[in-house]
Amino acid sequence: MTLRRRLSIKFALVLILALTVGLISYPKTVSRIPPVYNALNKLKINLGLDLQGGIHLEYKADTSKIDSSKIDESMQAVQDVIARRVNAFGVAEPTIYTTKSGSDRRLIVELAGVKDINQAKNLIKETPFLEFKAEGSADASQQIPQNVLDQMNAQAKQKAEDLLKKALAGEDFAQLAKDNSEDPGSKDNGGDLGFVKKGAFVPEFDKVLFEGNLKDGEIYNQVVETQFGWHIIKKIEQRGEGDNLEIHAAHILIAKKANPAPKKNYVSTGLTGKNLSSATVDFRNQGLSEPEVALKFDSDGTKLFADLTKNNIGKSIAIYLDGQIISAPTVQAEITNGEAVITGNFSVDEANNLVKRLNEGALPVPINLVSQESVDATLGGVSLATSLKAGFIGLGLVVIFMLSYYRFLGLIAVFALLIYTGLMISVFKLSSLTPWSITLTLPGIAGFILSIGMAVDANILIFERTKEEIRKGRNILGALDEGFKRAWTSIRDGNLSSILTSFILIELGTGFVKGFAVTLIVGVLLSMFTAVTISRTLLKYILGEWISNKLWLVGVKQEDVMETNKK
Amino acid sequence: MYNIISKTKYAYILSGTLTILSVVSIFVWGLKFGIDFTGGTVMEVKFAQNVPVNQDVADVLRDLNLNSLTIQGKGADSLLISYASVDDSVNQTVWSDISSKYADTTQSAVNYRDSSVSAELKTKSLWALFWAAVGIMAFIAWAFRKVSRPVQSWKYGAGAVIALIHDVLITIGVFSVLGHFKGIEVGVPFIAALLTILGFSVHDTIVVYDRTRENLLKGSSKEAFPDVVNRSLNETLVRSINTSLTVIITLLALYIFGGDSIKNFALALLIGVTFGTYSSIFVASALLVTSYKLQLKK
Repeated sequence: MTLRRRLSIKFALVLILALTVGLISYPKTVSRIPPVYNALNKLKINLGLDLQGGIHLEYKADTSKIDSSKIDESMQAVQDVIARRVNAFGVAEPTIYTTKSGSDRRLIVELAGVKDINQAKNLIKETPFLEFKAEGSADASQQIPQNVLDQMNAQAKQKAEDLLKKALAGEDFAQLAKDNSEDPGSKDNGGDLGFVKKGAFVPEFDKVLFEGNLKDGEIYNQVVETQFGWHIIKKIEQRGEGDNLEIHAAHILIAKKANPAPKKNYVSTGLTGKNLSSATVDFRNQGLSEPEVALKFDSDGTKLFADLTKNNIGKSIAIYLDGQIISAPTVQAEITNGEAVITGNFSVDEANNLVKRLNEGALPVPINLVSQESVDATLGGVSLATSLKAGFIGLGLVVIFMLSYYRFLGLIAVFALLIYTGLMISVFKLSSLTPWSITLTLPGIAGFILSIGMAVDANILIFERTKEEIRKGRNILGALDEGFKRAWTSIRDGNLSSILTSFILIELGTGFVKGFAVTLIVGVLLSMFTAVTISRTLLKYILGEWISNKLWLVGVKQEDVMETNKK
Repeated sequence: MYNIISKTKYAYILSGTLTILSVVSIFVWGLKFGIDFTGGTVMEVKFAQNVPVNQDVADVLRDLNLNSLTIQGKGADSLLISYASVDDSVNQTVWSDISSKYADTTQSAVNYRDSSVSAELKTKSLWALFWAAVGIMAFIAWAFRKVSRPVQSWKYGAGAVIALIHDVLITIGVFSVLGHFKGIEVGVPFIAALLTILGFSVHDTIVVYDRTRENLLKGSSKEAFPDVVNRSLNETLVRSINTSLTVIITLLALYIFGGDSIKNFALALLIGVTFGTYSSIFVASALLVTSYKLQLKK
């Protein structure tokens, strides 16, 4: 009886297991008992990016300029910076990690449930890569030789003189301006500059207008040279007195040709954002409307900056942000205190943003997107729904097949299969409480569905074997034991090969394959467990000699048994 | 009891023909590789209003001079736009061009592979196939270490491997034909399917061989080897067909109802598992008998 008793205990354990996994898988059954329901309902399957929507980004780090001994350190720094940036963006549970692939270093960013994929991508990509560059040899290719310039300017001046003569001779000033002026802002209005107060124009121009004692409508009798070129000036009218005096004037400009400021060729100095210890917004030099960004370097940075300023006194140092030059101040003296300011034309907001980004961290290594997999949340939801539907249909069809072919044995197999399904869901749900959280992806569901088909396999092997033993004339329980024993080697060997290929698949390592392989491995292991423990316990407990007269229940014909016995 | 072994000739003819046709197709047409292996972008764009004609979208993107641009419909409201992209900035431009031309479009999915990544996936996939083959062979050698009479254990291994190559070649062959005529592309999921087929096919074969092994170990010496094999086949026939049926049922459910993203994956598995079952019944064991007969002739 002890054997029977042990079996009873096992049977009870199976029932408890079935109940537990059932509740974990489908907590709604106890929705009337709120404490239990709430506790169970907290367990969620960790859905992959392809099912809940999200973005998987793989960046390749350009480590070519990093000392090989410092690569690990730099990659860690990049990871930290991106993590801070992503956290600032407020994504729930971002996954950020670095990998090696051959000699390549990769940074992988996974963001789940992101609504606007492009915005997220830009925020990550919005990398303030700060770099200080020193002047290299100037690029002279665009320069016009001085003698050619002189000649051009002499012609320009002559043209202005000729125009002045025409204007003084009474030709229509507005028309002359329209046809000849090289001031794009005023030429179409006939050179009209509107009313201005003193001080609005360059001094030479101002002086003629306000001190030239011109009458209304009078044209100044000389060509006026300014930094822009040669002007022919006409006073139209004036209004106001003293400080409020405003003069309405018009002009014709013949522009001066000058070389563009020689393009400077800046070269990297090794001083970058990674040497930054902090950045702040600073108003002290330029008043409230023009903030500057003050930088403080770390000890390495301070030393680099001191060397850099020492070697470049009188020359400019360019500050690049994300490859764009934002300011190129001229070095006055060596700076040893490790402080620098950037004076771009920042608005207060821009300065604040820049400081925030710099403090969040400038990337020590440039990164470049090499792989992206993104799925919109809606599409993810559709994938989840369709694949679950496929799963239910698949499960349903297998149940129908098992019941119609194996009848009573099939019923037990179906019960075992349902426990198996519940067990899989429970493992997925519970794994999120452990460090080995399993994520369910679309291929994972495919693997799951496939594993349902495979889970039955073990049962079929055992049943076929058991039936065979019954036909050989064994009693039911003996046949069962023999069936399990004999089928086990096949089950083990067959599933080992599936596990083997699954592990190789995991090594292949991409998202799709991994999700599939992981569920397949978990599925195969659990299906072996359910087949040899659950199915076995159920069968041994329920089946007994009573079934010897009803062999049709297990799909064996009475005649077959007789025949074999006769043999 | 069916005399399966007596039908060996037909099985060999069928398998030989299919394998040769597959190999020819693979050499002539090759496989149509997707962006996983060629690099590039596939962008799925969902339109709120009417889906524009493919040509219109191509016109919108004309100025970008995208290489190998293809546009095809997906579902009722989406288009799949794929092209060879050199840089992620291309993806940004494509998207901004499309979203500014058509109001309320959604970028449902984007898959982008840089050429370095696709090259890497290619090598990794080949290595995965290689290691799977090596691993499976080692596994088979281990699984059959005990049987050596009347056919040496390595021949079981060889038989299983030939059956396996047969299943995989035919699957690749079918996809080569599908690639040529239907434009079905293969990517990393296809490799995953091939590896799974490897595992499956050998699983099926092992169950049959396992029975042969058992019958040989306990069997009377009177029974001739081909008869033992045939009896083992018959004893496992129902099991082979039934387990494959359950797997095929679930795969069919996946193929029909599982949605576009895993359709081709399910199809590859379906073909592989079907031929895997066939070969474990009609080819793998037949090879043992053939090699036994050759041995006798010597």
